[in-house]
Amino acid sequence: MTETPVRFGPEATRLMGVLTTPDTVPSVPLACLLVNQGAGHRIGPARINVKLARRLARHGISSIRLDLAGLGDSDAPGGGLGYIEQGVADLQGAMNLVETMTGIRRFLHIGLCMGGVYGAVLGGQDARLAGLLMFDSFAFPGRRARLELALRRILGLSFNASLREKIANSLRGRFVARGGQIAEAPAPDDFVQRFRTAMTALAERSVPVFMLSSGSLHVADRRRDQLGALADESFAQNIEYHFDAALDHTLVTLESQRAFLDLACDWAQRVTQRAVAAPVSTLAAGRAGSRHVPALANC
Amino acid sequence: MTPLTFGPAGRRLFGIFHAPATGLAPASAVLLCPPMGQELFRVQRFLRVLSDRLARAGVAVLRFDYHGTGDSPGDDEDGDMAGWQDDVAAAHAELRRRAGAVPVAWCGARLGATLAAAAAHAAAQGPQHLLMWDPVLDGGAYLRALREAHASVLIKSFCLPVSGLRRRLAAEPEAFAEGPLGYGMSETLRRQLRELAPYHVTLSPSHETTVMAMPCDMVAHAWAQALRAQDLPVGWVPFEHTWGWTEDQQRPGQATMVPAEPLQQLLQRLRAPAGAMHLTVDTTA
Repeated sequence: MTETPVRFGPEATRLMGVLTTPDTVPSVPLACLLVNQGAGHRIGPARINVKLARRLARHGISSIRLDLAGLGDSDAPGGGLGYIEQGVADLQGAMNLVETMTGIRRFLHIGLCMGGVYGAVLGGQDARLAGLLMFDSFAFPGRRARLELALRRILGLSFNASLREKIANSLRGRFVARGGQIAEAPAPDDFVQRFRTAMTALAERSVPVFMLSSGSLHVADRRRDQLGALADESFAQNIEYHFDAALDHTLVTLESQRAFLDLACDWAQRVTQRAVAAPVSTLAAGRAGSRHVPALANC
Repeated sequence: MTPLTFGPAGRRLFGIFHAPATGLAPASAVLLCPPMGQELFRVQRFLRVLSDRLARAGVAVLRFDYHGTGDSPGDDEDGDMAGWQDDVAAAHAELRRRAGAVPVAWCGARLGATLAAAAAHAAAQGPQHLLMWDPVLDGGAYLRALREAHASVLIKSFCLPVSGLRRRLAAEPEAFAEGPLGYGMSETLRRQLRELAPYHVTLSPSHETTVMAMPCDMVAHAWAQALRAQDLPVGWVPFEHTWGWTEDQQRPGQATMVPAEPLQQLLQRLRAPAGAMHLTVDTTA
């Protein structure tokens, strides 16, 4: 396995990432994009993207973990694009780089929280995406699921000082003047529409989608609760859905990390094996133009 | 800004070098020694911005990840104090190789400050100045704080009472110690931290030292005073800030990746050539 720090993208907005390649030539021509949640940098919470990249490499899968523009070691975006569109452009830049360095032209995307939102929108637009795993990225719980969560929290209120603090902060925030925001946050309806558009496009291309939800955000799940009313739409049949009550959103426990790594690696292997089994004509797009992997160490 | 790998074969490290943005040869250089674990994750962007600002002022900067942390090779559980001190020395050698024979300052945050103080004893042509920001001087207290933060984050994350977490924390001295806040920690490192006490942290007389810590940090204050009493060139700067090393302060408007006050404080003290830095040291103890 070789890990190579890379700077790429336009001169005015250079992005930073680390490309991980197996020691042997990958057995399948798919590489994985690893994108972190929130504002943290590319290693992910508890270094999970580093651990995942190394484990994927042991299974012959290359990956790139990167900082989107304005985060970590990447430069600030040049402006003009909304933050989701900018994120998609950054991911396409990363795919171009991986293609140049390894010849791989098809990609999986594993995104934590907001990282999965970028992946979904990317997948809806870019045919190079061949698989998408979203961890706590979208949730559309219906009335019953929301009521259940509220009830559980109310029952726990007297025992949980941090929850009381959270509510107080939330109330305080409503009455404190907010400063300027760097980007307009999409409205919930916008997220629904983005999700529907992306999932429809991915289903039409039969791109595997894995929707993974944690117990720390959603507490309980009975019938694909996080899909809510969208569970009845046809694209939902293309979504492999998994809820794990013991997983926590930021993977703070080592048990959570082990469970996440097992799930993500198993999924990536299944998708790559499926790609291997696909007709040659489907794979041709991925293999065309591949070239010798350059020596990467010690940049 | 140049990402790079450096260090001996078998223990390569990930680092980023910031050449002076002025295009001129650097007048001085700064080595940033980061914290570990969740503290490293939270402070990463801050160190990037600090490095950029210093580079704009003509200072060459190297920041890096210790073995088994960040992007560097190695697993979480591979970290140990002696190895990390060697990593500081390796980073110093790399910085000198790139920046040339200019005065060098080290800036360490949290455990990075402690490691830097230890590494400075042995580093060839070591730093002229060491700036220690919120140094970890009591390893036992540090471990306890990490374990408490671990339980606190879990309780807040689930937003529900997570049965037994507090009880376990109180009853078991080693609860959550194997991976506080998700970062695996070997038994060796835990033992080294438990043994870390202020009187074990010594300073080389070959460099000046500034200790920047919260006014309420009596351990750091007493430690700096004790070293000054030994005629070591140590300055104490009481520095109140709202930065949370392991989690946001959970107040609207306070959650930030790059807090302004620490940035200004560190810039003010690191911009000057290392040889002239004693002029900025507040020696009021």
